[in-house]
Amino acid sequence: MEKTTAQNIRLGIFVIIGTLLLVTAAYLIGNRQNMFGDTFPLSAVFKNTNGLQNGNNVRFSGINVGTVSRIEMINDTTIKVHMIIEEKMSAHIKKDAVATIGSDGLVGSMLVNIVPGKGDADLVEPGDQLKSYSKIASQDMLSTLNTTNENAALLTAELLQVTESLTQGKGTLGRLLNDTIMANDLKHTITNLKYSSQEASTTLAALNNMIKNIDFEQSTAGVLLADSISGEQMRSIISNLENSSNGIEKIVGDLGVLLEDVKGGKGALRYLSQDTTMVNQLESTMLNIEMGAEKFNQNMEALKHNFLTRGYFKKLERQQKKEAKKVQ
Amino acid sequence: MATLQETVNSRANTVLKGVKNFVIETGELSHFAGRFFKEALKPPFEFKELLRQCYHMGNRSLVLVGVTGFIIGLVLTLQSRPTLIEFGAVSWMPNMVGISIVREIGPVITALICAGRIASGIGAELGSMRVTEQIDAMEVSGTNPFKYLVVTRILATTLMLPLLVIFGDVIALYGSALVENLKGDVSFQLYFNTVFDALGFGDLVPASIKSFFFGFVIGLVGCYKGYYSKKGTAGVGVAANTAVVTASLLLFVVDFIAVFVSDIFYDL
Amino acid sequence: MTYNMEKIKHMAQIEKPASVSDKEKNLVIHIKDVRKSFGDNHVLNGFNLKLHEGENLVVMGKSGSGKSVMIKCLVGLMQPDSGYIEVMGQEVNTLDQGQLDALRADIGFLFQGSALYDSMTVRENLEFPMRRHKEKLGNVSDTRPLVLEALENVGLAHTMDLMPAELSGGMKRRVALARTLILKPKVILYDEPTSGLDPITAKEIIELMRSIQRKYNTSSLIITHDVDCARVISERMILLVDGINYAEGTFAQLSASTDPKVEAFFKK
Repeated sequence: MEKTTAQNIRLGIFVIIGTLLLVTAAYLIGNRQNMFGDTFPLSAVFKNTNGLQNGNNVRFSGINVGTVSRIEMINDTTIKVHMIIEEKMSAHIKKDAVATIGSDGLVGSMLVNIVPGKGDADLVEPGDQLKSYSKIASQDMLSTLNTTNENAALLTAELLQVTESLTQGKGTLGRLLNDTIMANDLKHTITNLKYSSQEASTTLAALNNMIKNIDFEQSTAGVLLADSISGEQMRSIISNLENSSNGIEKIVGDLGVLLEDVKGGKGALRYLSQDTTMVNQLESTMLNIEMGAEKFNQNMEALKHNFLTRGYFKKLERQQKKEAKKVQ
Repeated sequence: MATLQETVNSRANTVLKGVKNFVIETGELSHFAGRFFKEALKPPFEFKELLRQCYHMGNRSLVLVGVTGFIIGLVLTLQSRPTLIEFGAVSWMPNMVGISIVREIGPVITALICAGRIASGIGAELGSMRVTEQIDAMEVSGTNPFKYLVVTRILATTLMLPLLVIFGDVIALYGSALVENLKGDVSFQLYFNTVFDALGFGDLVPASIKSFFFGFVIGLVGCYKGYYSKKGTAGVGVAANTAVVTASLLLFVVDFIAVFVSDIFYDL
Repeated sequence: MTYNMEKIKHMAQIEKPASVSDKEKNLVIHIKDVRKSFGDNHVLNGFNLKLHEGENLVVMGKSGSGKSVMIKCLVGLMQPDSGYIEVMGQEVNTLDQGQLDALRADIGFLFQGSALYDSMTVRENLEFPMRRHKEKLGNVSDTRPLVLEALENVGLAHTMDLMPAELSGGMKRRVALARTLILKPKVILYDEPTSGLDPITAKEIIELMRSIQRKYNTSSLIITHDVDCARVISERMILLVDGINYAEGTFAQLSASTDPKVEAFFKK
């Protein structure tokens, strides 16, 4: 009798522990899917959910705060994503928060990111529909990069022209600066240069903004940029671009001052031709520009070879060849 | 030419015989299962014996299942590490190991271990009881031996196996976490956090339901082979042996069906 | 219809007038024209047997002659292909499970290999038949005195908490006998009570059987191929040859027979 009692006790312990483990596991899993505890619903409308599934995580500022509960197709361009958010988060999410769809890691599952808005809006209420933002897909990003590239190429070509004419010697410089047509040309060039520089700046700002977005949203490219070597490369490319741009800007400034002097008729020509320091400075500036342009070119080349973007550029090349053939 | 034809004929006969035996066995096993459900639902119930069997099958298998699970966890992690490192995906280890253990390896390994230990044990025990007329003696004593021996054992395996699987899973995951902890500087908390992040009910529920069927198969085959054991001591050995073989084979068939069905229901 | 017919028939037998001999009146077992075959092997070919109250009847036959099959038919462990079997006024084949269990409580069955339950202690072995027949023993809550009494009858009170594996062959047989007696049966069926025992132990068992019979005034049907056993215990003998009751009589009568098939049994 005592034997069976002891057996039953041990059996009881076994069963209880086993059941507890099962329940704990179920609880832990359920907890992560917000099946227990207080929650409130939110929703957002997207054009494309990029493979989002029921049960995918919802992140607010990088913290898992809930899950996707339902994905509803409203019409061919509108998909409503219903989410369940932890109740305690209702004190932090404001009405101007923006929902985007991203992915968790390079090959990870999709998730909904809720990004806090900048303003001082009211807190969300259960059932609210958040604004959504379909972020730039890699295709868009690459086309922006292409525009930047074209602009940079244009800029470089013009700069080269200027530099060439300048490096032809001190003699030409006098003629160049005396000649009004040439001066006009120069002016025009500088305007162009300014314009190019401006455009380069905006492009860079856009690129920067994009990079920031990428960083923040942990998308495929984001992870690439944030984690991997290619990301580092990309970063250095960007910073190089920035440097080049700064250099260009500086040059433009310098040229601007020069032009002012010419305009001001303060004997700028004499000043220029006599003041060797100034000439030397200009020369070195031009050299700098050349170097900067070269570097920029290099960077663009590197970007072309970067594995992320290589495919696109190859495609572009092919297309160009095709077009060339067509023209022929 | 005649000899060739004879060979072909005799081969064909052997195959036919094999097929016929297989069909007969399937039929008998199904009948046996049907009888189990009929008897299991009819009073009187042998609770005390059920508890005793649960103890013998549950607690007594725990060490075996634990050791096996632990080693499986260790080995799976150690073997996957180099490949995952190569892909720079070693941080995915908990997800990979967690899902593979909970969904498939845990239940199947535990069931196979139990088929080896429990099905053969039941086969040998009931076989020897049949041979030494203990089953007859029971019937003469007014106790339904099918209820007392078969129903309790099948119920015990059916109830205990899912628990053993849970224990096996937990210990296997612990073993895996240990490797990651020692070799890869992953804390236990992070490891289990990642595991439970990766797991969903779609992993846990079908695996648990599957385990019940595994337990049922082990008990059923063990009891069937033992209960209808042939006379003589050789019959006991055959009963134990065929119980393990048939149970293991049937486990994979059930596993296949279970994966198939859960695939439909969970659409994973 | 047949059921009613048989009912009438056996009622008629019970209420037979005094013109029939006293022994006929107290018929305990009545087997009439029983046939049983396994495939082409015709084991029983129209076997007849009558056991009267208080009588010791020995059925002798070679191994495989169907003796065991015959007594298994008596307690419903096997179904005869045809024929009529009546035990204590009830036709065995027409009973439902409940009636059969009730009848079996009045029949003691000593199995060939003792058939003690290996997984239980001696005490649990003896308690086992009481599980379903508590009311027969007056719903006792404490079974210990009954177990002790039964064990004392066979002189093994000290083995109460041992496992069967710890007992010798002779002790096992005696414990099995105690288990057979625990429900105080009116008739005891012995299947080869001395098989597998050395002659001295066999003699002890036979003595035990006799003393029990005197003490409880039971009827006994003993199946054996052991001539010594038959000589000591039999009051009447039936020789089972070729599936029929080939010869009947006292030990002295049969051993003096000149029939070659009968003589074969008594040749040393």
